[in-house]
Amino acid sequence: MPELGRLAVCLALLFAAYGALAGVAGGIRRRAHLVRSAEHAAYAVFGLVVIATVILLRALLRHDFTLEYVAAYSSSTLPTQYTIAALWGGQKGSLLFWTLLLTLFTTIVQAQNRERNRALMPFVTATLMTVAVFFLSLLVFMTDPFERLPVAAREGADLNPLLQNYWMMIHPPSLYTGYVSASVPFAFAIAALAAGQLGDQWIRSVRRWALFSWAFLSLGNLLGARWAYEVLGWGGYWAWDPVENAAFMPWLVSTAYLHSVMIQEKRDMLRVWNVVLVLLTFALTIFGTFLTRSGVISSVHSFTQSGLGPFFIGFLLFVLLAAGGLLAYRFPELRTPATMESFLSREAAFLFNNLVLVGIAFAVFWGTVFPVLSEWVRGVKITVGPPFFNRVNAPLGLVLLFLAGVGPVIAWRRASPRNLRRAFAGPVAAGLVAAAALAVARVPPGYAFATFALAVFVLGTVAQEFLRARQAMLHESAPRALGRLVGKNRRRYGGYLIHVGVVSIFVAIAASSAFRIEAQETLKPGDEMAAGKFRLRYERITSDENAHLSRLAAEVSVWRDGRRIGTLAPEKRFYKKPEQPTTEVAMRSTLSEDLYLVLGSYDPPSGLVTLQAYVNPLVSWLWIGGVIMAGGTLVTMWPSAAERRAVAYELGRAQVPAE
Amino acid sequence: MLNRRRFIVGAALIAAAVSYLVYAGIRTTSMYYFELGEFVARRDALLGETLRVKGWVKHGSVRWDAHTNELAFELATKDGGSPVPVAYRGIRPDMFSEGREVVVEGRYRRDGLAARQIMTSCPSKYEPAAGGGEPRAGS
Repeated sequence: MPELGRLAVCLALLFAAYGALAGVAGGIRRRAHLVRSAEHAAYAVFGLVVIATVILLRALLRHDFTLEYVAAYSSSTLPTQYTIAALWGGQKGSLLFWTLLLTLFTTIVQAQNRERNRALMPFVTATLMTVAVFFLSLLVFMTDPFERLPVAAREGADLNPLLQNYWMMIHPPSLYTGYVSASVPFAFAIAALAAGQLGDQWIRSVRRWALFSWAFLSLGNLLGARWAYEVLGWGGYWAWDPVENAAFMPWLVSTAYLHSVMIQEKRDMLRVWNVVLVLLTFALTIFGTFLTRSGVISSVHSFTQSGLGPFFIGFLLFVLLAAGGLLAYRFPELRTPATMESFLSREAAFLFNNLVLVGIAFAVFWGTVFPVLSEWVRGVKITVGPPFFNRVNAPLGLVLLFLAGVGPVIAWRRASPRNLRRAFAGPVAAGLVAAAALAVARVPPGYAFATFALAVFVLGTVAQEFLRARQAMLHESAPRALGRLVGKNRRRYGGYLIHVGVVSIFVAIAASSAFRIEAQETLKPGDEMAAGKFRLRYERITSDENAHLSRLAAEVSVWRDGRRIGTLAPEKRFYKKPEQPTTEVAMRSTLSEDLYLVLGSYDPPSGLVTLQAYVNPLVSWLWIGGVIMAGGTLVTMWPSAAERRAVAYELGRAQVPAE
Repeated sequence: MLNRRRFIVGAALIAAAVSYLVYAGIRTTSMYYFELGEFVARRDALLGETLRVKGWVKHGSVRWDAHTNELAFELATKDGGSPVPVAYRGIRPDMFSEGREVVVEGRYRRDGLAARQIMTSCPSKYEPAAGGGEPRAGS
């Protein structure tokens, strides 16, 4: 069977190469049959990659330890759900999984556009197939997931215990979905450049894909944070590790694109900028994969070096050169006469939002590659850690939050004094009242203070928009009015909802960074310690064991403000197969704060335990904000009646001048 | 009509602000990162610096006091050469054990490294999926 998988991957590579060439040739020479043939090749690639994936999955589930990959990332005692997750637990499998998603999206895009975008589609197919060729080449020539061991292993080495966690089941697929779907807008941008169709057509065609990619990048980042928070046991959720930055950078640029594209739609400006953002997002996804796969940047956990680094850099250079060349070639046609009229306009607010987002991405990029650059330039490796990223990004984040309130309500072109009063008097007053209340509550001045006040300002703008719309339709019941309102303008109100989610996330980050309480004490049974409002008493240690692992749990009684609220049991686990201890956090999570307990160490001779307690305020709002954002994105993406009509109209129109 | 120039100035101001933040951030928060060998070769110049050093935990050098949470060990090359004493107070990281590769972050003093953080590398098998994870910080 594994040989069949290998054969499928090899054939897929051939078909993908053919699809790329035939797409380009068919597009340039306008040969419809060549274009069809390229698209059929792309379908075939998808089919072959599905076969390969199914075969690898089957090998995993049957514990076929003759395969190197299966033996390295699973074992016969690994629970089934994690055996499936092992498909993306290791490098070879995750590259195959990546290719699977890429070819799946290619298939969907082609099916969606069977009757549309006929000038663009040959180049879209060709671009996506070129990307597929790269990943399939890695699978064929560099890291064969179907490689056999010289001698079959008797047992697998098992999946890393840190990955045996349900967040790890959904976090990588979600992030990969976000990464890979960024290829679709990229392919359309390339196709628009190649075909010289530089109007809004390509932008409208990829709007939903760009949102889809952005949504999954958001989700992937948040799930990664959630995983880190629950599993790693250091009390936080984000450490600016290179692999986190790798996922964060494309998200930032993609966010910038979603905003600036609105300016192009409304005012036909920033065409070049939008193309650049789409290209950059894609390049950053490749760069991110490079970061996590190459070991060039010493993330504490990409110590494994895989030798794929140079290939990713090569591919990245190829992408940048090809895209940059096309862009330069079309540059004269892309320029538009429209200009900004005033700093006090929505265009300007969006433009500044873009600059800040790209600025943050740049700062994160710089901090991430700085060790490598300093080693090249000065011969010494110099690292920067979380303090760097926090210091740079906190003020930029505040500017962004402020603009999130300004952008949606300021007028296009030029805001009149009347517009400014009407749009901002209420929200600014709300923000000032909030600031006064915070001062009375003795919240120390600083980033957290500013974040809370700005959050109220932004929520004020959103609330005001909903209330005004409501006043215009007072004859209807509130839920019905809300439904009609959102239904009529999904993009707008979905966007507001996303902003509410973003505000929630900002508040959670500010509160949990500024007001977190940390306590650590070594205790014997019966001893107590304090952490903020909480009193903790260490009662006893318990232990048990199964085939997979053994565990120690410290039973801790918890009081909050003098009232007993329950028992928590942080654990240490000792996995047997990769012999490795892990920390199992015990958490009591409420809307106002999380109590986060870690069993730091246990010393059997003396019976002493060291407990670490963290009180993290408002962390729940991080996850709640994520859910709100997801909801807002769904609203935004849902097709409206008007849009369906527009599509039908376009289809009708497209059929008139038949080729 | 506002001309292009004013917008370019506005954009340049933002770019300058970002550049300044990055520059100042790196100046105030960056630290050296050395392999043990490099560190030993130039340690006289590094007295008092806060830095990161990567090396191996020397076999037989680990002393751990559960009462005070004090950890002392020697950071050495893979085969145990040129050991540098390390003192640390705090939770002993899960993955910390003799012979393992670690990165020590701390201040270099005359009597050795006063660590404020010990980062353990994940076992060689571990290839993280994209986007997942943090350093296993031991602080």
